[in-house]
Amino acid sequence: MPAASKSFAQGDLQDQKVAGYQSALGVTRPQTVSLPGFRTQSGFTFEAVDVSYLTLGKLAAARDNAILVCHALSGSAHVAGLHPDTQRPGWWDFHVGPGKAIDTDKFFVICANVLGGCSGTTGPASINPKTGKPYGMAFPSVTVRDMVAVQAKLVAHLGIAKILAVIGGSMGGMQALAWATDFPERLQHCVPIATCPSHGAMQIAFNEIGRHAILSDPNWHGGNYSEAHPPAHGLSVARMVGHVTYLSEFSMTHKFGRQRQAEATAAHKDQFSIESYLHHQGESFVKRFDPNSYLYLTRALDRFDLFESQPPDAMLKRIRARFLVVSFSSDWLYPPVQSRELVRLLKRANIPVTYVNLDTDYGHDSFLIENPPFANLIRDYLEHGRQHGLHHPPAGRLETAAK
Amino acid sequence: MHPGIYATVANWIPEKSRVLDLGTGDGAFLEQLVKTRHVSGEGVELDASSVAKCVQRGLVVHQGNIADGLDQYGDGAFDYVLLLGTFQELVAPSEIIREAFRVGRQVVVAHSNFAHIRVRLQILTSGRTPITRSLPTPWYRTRNLHFLSVLDFQDFCRESGFRQQASAYFNARGQVRFLPNLRAEDAVSLLQPEAGSMAR
Repeated sequence: MPAASKSFAQGDLQDQKVAGYQSALGVTRPQTVSLPGFRTQSGFTFEAVDVSYLTLGKLAAARDNAILVCHALSGSAHVAGLHPDTQRPGWWDFHVGPGKAIDTDKFFVICANVLGGCSGTTGPASINPKTGKPYGMAFPSVTVRDMVAVQAKLVAHLGIAKILAVIGGSMGGMQALAWATDFPERLQHCVPIATCPSHGAMQIAFNEIGRHAILSDPNWHGGNYSEAHPPAHGLSVARMVGHVTYLSEFSMTHKFGRQRQAEATAAHKDQFSIESYLHHQGESFVKRFDPNSYLYLTRALDRFDLFESQPPDAMLKRIRARFLVVSFSSDWLYPPVQSRELVRLLKRANIPVTYVNLDTDYGHDSFLIENPPFANLIRDYLEHGRQHGLHHPPAGRLETAAK
Repeated sequence: MHPGIYATVANWIPEKSRVLDLGTGDGAFLEQLVKTRHVSGEGVELDASSVAKCVQRGLVVHQGNIADGLDQYGDGAFDYVLLLGTFQELVAPSEIIREAFRVGRQVVVAHSNFAHIRVRLQILTSGRTPITRSLPTPWYRTRNLHFLSVLDFQDFCRESGFRQQASAYFNARGQVRFLPNLRAEDAVSLLQPEAGSMAR
């Protein structure tokens, strides 16, 4: 099935040098705001947290067209447009912009770097005001719910009482889910993509391999590494493992097969293309990502449990949003069966859910690449959301008719 | 299915009912029910392009097959569960209807009538599997698994403990009121469980 276009050859936009890539948004620069007083789920209090965020499009006078985009593990606030320093396109530039799936001509799009991240929001690499040094492992443990609580503060700071839709893939999808339970009155639509309500053993296992690579790098030094000598090797191995899990057997066969690298170096004689691709991914990730952040964020992913070990009903009862749940047939990291289970729980709690399992061959990355069926789905869903505004009958399907 | 079937079903469904449409296709009929009968409706559909059209119409839709779709819902979540046009394609029609009665109060089933006069004559005269307006594909391409007649369906309901509260029959000329098993191409019934039956 011709699901994603051929330009998949470019892959996702994050670590690609996309020569000549034009963004309809031009140059976009995230900004930073300091939000006072934040207490984490674990009980740690920050006097203030910095939040790096980017807004695109115009907030309507009625303040009813805001869409919050939540980024995945390695993303940042720079969701779309070209970055002024690196010239790189934002991680979701394929799908966010004028006339795109998330249309910046219609919507006011907000994207913020998560708490614990390393792209401008307070994280383990930030300076601890008590010591004047980076937090390192003294940073408190971060949860997906903490990330969302910080976003809620940002949204309030921007003067928005209710968001039209919270949307995100993978870790971003978990954030969307946590929004629906933790701030039920403050979003109309929830769009979790390629995600799950809690990690299974396999997902934790892959994250643990990544963490272990970082922890066993001699440069890690208990998290107190110098900026000049980070545990780069460990982080790049973590990223290599991650990348394998984001692809599919199909996409690897089609993109790399058993091709050899054209420019063989003495060190990598006779190297397969997939090997040099993974090395490149690892090396470029090291330049933009903090190893401690990787530890904290993957732990947040693994610990996330939408239902907090309780019977799902208690948490689901809070939800007021309508849902679009999207999975991808070839995603083996967040397999469709997890999304279907989520959908079943939501539906049995009488929450209106549209579920689409897109037949794409490109694995977990399917939401990051150019993918017209995916783009059309998001566009069509949001367009109806926009037309109905913020007061479409709430999740009251079953209240409408007495039995 | 004959367009008269959809008009009939629309009349059977009271305003503001909760409706689950199994095999909803591109969602045209469900959208009509939502707009004209103000039902709160959901569709279940397997085909990707049909699901995309349902989303375009702003419908709540679940991509999956009918059994998977039904499994998503709690007991008594709907007033009406619709099975229009897919019944003879179901691998296990009994189980599907039983599940439909679990999630819905009443079930509407449409099916083609394989005892229509033209079907009978074609078998008799040509000695081959018939191809008619309501059975347009040859045997090796048809999605139909079961070849049932109006009478077969009546027997099925009686044996399964469902009452046909209302039925309507159609052929190319319109509604059929006499000798439906001979003259109708398509049939539709509104079912409810017989009092005391195991259907629920």
